[in-house]
Amino acid sequence: NAEELRLSHQFAPGDLRHKVAQMVADDVAAANVDLTIKIFPSGSLFKATEQYQPLSRGQLDMTVLPLSYAGGQRPEYNLTLMPGLIKSHEHAARVNASPFMGEIERILNEDDVMTLVKGYLAGGFASVDGCITKPEDVKGKTVRAAGKGFEEMLQAAGASIASMPSSETYNAMQQHVLQALNTSSSSFVSFRLQELAKCYTPAADVALWFMYQPLLVNKTTFDKLKPEQQEALRAASAKAEAYYLEEAKKEDAASVEAFKAAGVEIAQMTQADFDAWKKLAEESSYKQFVKDVPDGQKLLDMALSVE
Amino acid sequence: MSAPIAVAPVIKGENAFVRAVEALTTFFGWIAAALTVVALIVTCQMIFVRSFLGQSTIWQTEAVIYLMIAATTLGLGYVQQMRGHVNVDLIPMALGPRARRVLAYAVLLATIGVSSLIAFYSWDLWHQAFERNWKSSTVWAPPLWVPYLAMPLGFGLFLLQLVADLVKLATGTEPPFGIKEV
Amino acid sequence: MDPLTLGLLVAVTTIVVLFSGISVAVGLLLVAASFLLIFDGTRSLEMIPEIFFADLNSFTILSIPMFIIMGAAVASTRAGADLFEALERWLTRVPGGLVVSNLGACALFAALSGSSPATCAAIGKMGIPEMQKRGYPDGVAAGAIAAGGTLGILIPPSVTMIVYGIATETSIGRLFLAGIIPGLMLTALFMGWAIFATWRSGNTAVLSPRSYSLRERFEIMPRILPFLLVIVGVLYSMYGGIATTSETAAVGAVLCLLMAITIYRLWNPRAIWGVLRDSTRESVMILFIMAAAGVFAYMMSSLFITQSIAQWIAGLEVNRWVLMALINLFLLVAGFFLPPVAVILMTAPILMPILEAAQFDPYWFAVILTINMEVGLITPPVGLNLFVINSIAPNISLRTILLGSAPFVGCMFAAIVILCLFPGLATWLPNLVMGPI
Ligand code: NA
Ligand code: NA
Repeated sequence: NAEELRLSHQFAPGDLRHKVAQMVADDVAAANVDLTIKIFPSGSLFKATEQYQPLSRGQLDMTVLPLSYAGGQRPEYNLTLMPGLIKSHEHAARVNASPFMGEIERILNEDDVMTLVKGYLAGGFASVDGCITKPEDVKGKTVRAAGKGFEEMLQAAGASIASMPSSETYNAMQQHVLQALNTSSSSFVSFRLQELAKCYTPAADVALWFMYQPLLVNKTTFDKLKPEQQEALRAASAKAEAYYLEEAKKEDAASVEAFKAAGVEIAQMTQADFDAWKKLAEESSYKQFVKDVPDGQKLLDMALSVE
Repeated sequence: MSAPIAVAPVIKGENAFVRAVEALTTFFGWIAAALTVVALIVTCQMIFVRSFLGQSTIWQTEAVIYLMIAATTLGLGYVQQMRGHVNVDLIPMALGPRARRVLAYAVLLATIGVSSLIAFYSWDLWHQAFERNWKSSTVWAPPLWVPYLAMPLGFGLFLLQLVADLVKLATGTEPPFGIKEV
Repeated sequence: MDPLTLGLLVAVTTIVVLFSGISVAVGLLLVAASFLLIFDGTRSLEMIPEIFFADLNSFTILSIPMFIIMGAAVASTRAGADLFEALERWLTRVPGGLVVSNLGACALFAALSGSSPATCAAIGKMGIPEMQKRGYPDGVAAGAIAAGGTLGILIPPSVTMIVYGIATETSIGRLFLAGIIPGLMLTALFMGWAIFATWRSGNTAVLSPRSYSLRERFEIMPRILPFLLVIVGVLYSMYGGIATTSETAAVGAVLCLLMAITIYRLWNPRAIWGVLRDSTRESVMILFIMAAAGVFAYMMSSLFITQSIAQWIAGLEVNRWVLMALINLFLLVAGFFLPPVAVILMTAPILMPILEAAQFDPYWFAVILTINMEVGLITPPVGLNLFVINSIAPNISLRTILLGSAPFVGCMFAAIVILCLFPGLATWLPNLVMGPI
């Protein structure tokens, strides 16, 4: 009997993260092992932040998820969106292969979840007045960041953190209730923020914002598959992982093109700016992480030790 | 003055259980109203602090959402008591008195069934969140069992009121679907 | 079972269950739970509380209770009566001035709120009793507000347009602009019908222009000053960079409460409790239905019914206008049962590619889709605005509300036809402001 797996995610069909999921689904279908993957895009089954729990309980089979969304259940995951922890896409690939990620995998396994495709996406800042490159630039501004670690750092820089759903950000920026926004290159373009922004600080040679967004599967579901089905899924995932990395690099440049075409000023973060942010993060978000998580220091050191 | 929506009239000599339940759900109706007012105040506080003082707003959005979820679920029983949950009584109107009475029992029992299901599974969810110390994934990071608690509590109150309604139907205090026979 | 049969089974079951006299929210939960249990097993049943919670876990939904409080506070004082009295004195040359001004108020409110039930509750609470008092037929009064409320998602800002923009990767700003002219056109159509229906009802007295002296006109102005101040406050908070659209609702509610308490001396705790009790009753009822509709939508998505039908339509090889007609029919039927946002999430990713292939403008289509979703809000079995009216105007029967709303559905169909004939009504403004695509 043919097996069907359900994959749910929050992204629109044009988004890279959907394409990665689609690629795995297509390759598994082509492998002719009686396995199909049915994709529910755009949050049409579970909402953006509600994917992890059904996945870990086997009510959902697969998802593509910014892992730090589940940081409330597993605080360790907050380390997958820490300012300055990842320096480049190549560095992200090395982190993915490191014992640190092995430790994250162990925690995932405890929740009956395993990783099929690893991948980091980079991002930057968009703002409606004044460019944001260094910590002083956000002072007194209302900023929305996509994650706890960044919010703590921005707060330490004197920014006002507005927690609002992503669906409100366009409106809020239009009304200047929100002056700056921090998210991935792909999401900037998906939400068409180039129409509103006055300045964009993309991920370039120096990049502060990297978020881990893997494709996950429920472990019990995976274990129950026939060996040839598991093999097909693994093969498709390996191919998708290589594609994800290559495309992730291109997304940054593509977002710059989109913002440039809309006449938005492009700012660059210097190494000195990066160091200032990193220092601030160490005093705020890193410190908070170590405080919140048992064995947090050990995990942080593992992550920092990746060259 | 406000629109005249009668609170369920208390009929003398009515069942003590029914009266106790209705007092309880009414009390939670007040709580629901109070939570809404608090949500209102917190939203304004957030706007003020952010726009006029330029300070960070960390907890307000989330708190307001949880207050409103609590107001909604805790108010379920009270609104049931006031017959405020809107229904479409097309079929009951078309039926004769006997069939209507049977349908009234069926509808009430089905409602009790569904609410018990949700009360049970939401208690399960609350228990999990409590046991595993789940937090919200924000900077504020409140423990999730607090907002989750509103669901089993609210559906529990709803369930109590439904049972009271069943008693009222059985004792003839209220006609089926509130439709008076002519 | 093939999706079409399953879809039909769900539709028939839902209609029977919802007409049985069970409360709408519980009926939706009952149907959802039963189908999930039969076709998905118990693993999905366990999910219901989480989905219920997740559907309420949104700041945007909050604008509903806030706007309800706003309406209830105004309705509990003379403020509403004063406002409509002033409108009547100034709009003497307009036949049916009161229903026209109510629809105008709906359109104005739609520009402040992104949600339809909120628009409906805020205006209806003060508007319907005033119209009844002045002799407008119940059906016209209720239907006009139910339909006028649906403008909330067409005239920007709009929750459904935002969701559409994100799901289809189109520009939200452009979508908002595309909704403005069709929104005003629909408002005009509604006004036209309301005047005609009032005239036809034989109660023509309310239509005949009464003349007021200039003195009478200016005499009333001080009485609506507090209300004007509230409107200025709300507009300032929204367009002055103070608050987001959803937050503005709270500003409006607080200002109206303050106005009722200070200027209209609503000091009596009993009276204040009356306002809060009524608002709580209405907002609990609406939010319960919205959360239940979310669980129902989860069932539909989980069983892949909506998506399969959309895929089937996408696979048909037909003339582009036949395709458009089919899509309209499909959206219409989906809207009968499902909340607008759920329809968009499930269908947009599937329909978008074929619409592009058939060279339909995505912004124009967003307007067509939104009007279809508006129809769903005032048609059975799940018509959120009908239920809102039923709750805020308990003295009007659901049957009267339904019959009163039906002709407004006709106006919406007319709007769809007009937009198909003149797509420029939707595309002209965005192209003018933001340049061609
Ligand atoms: Na609107
Ligand atoms: Na409907």
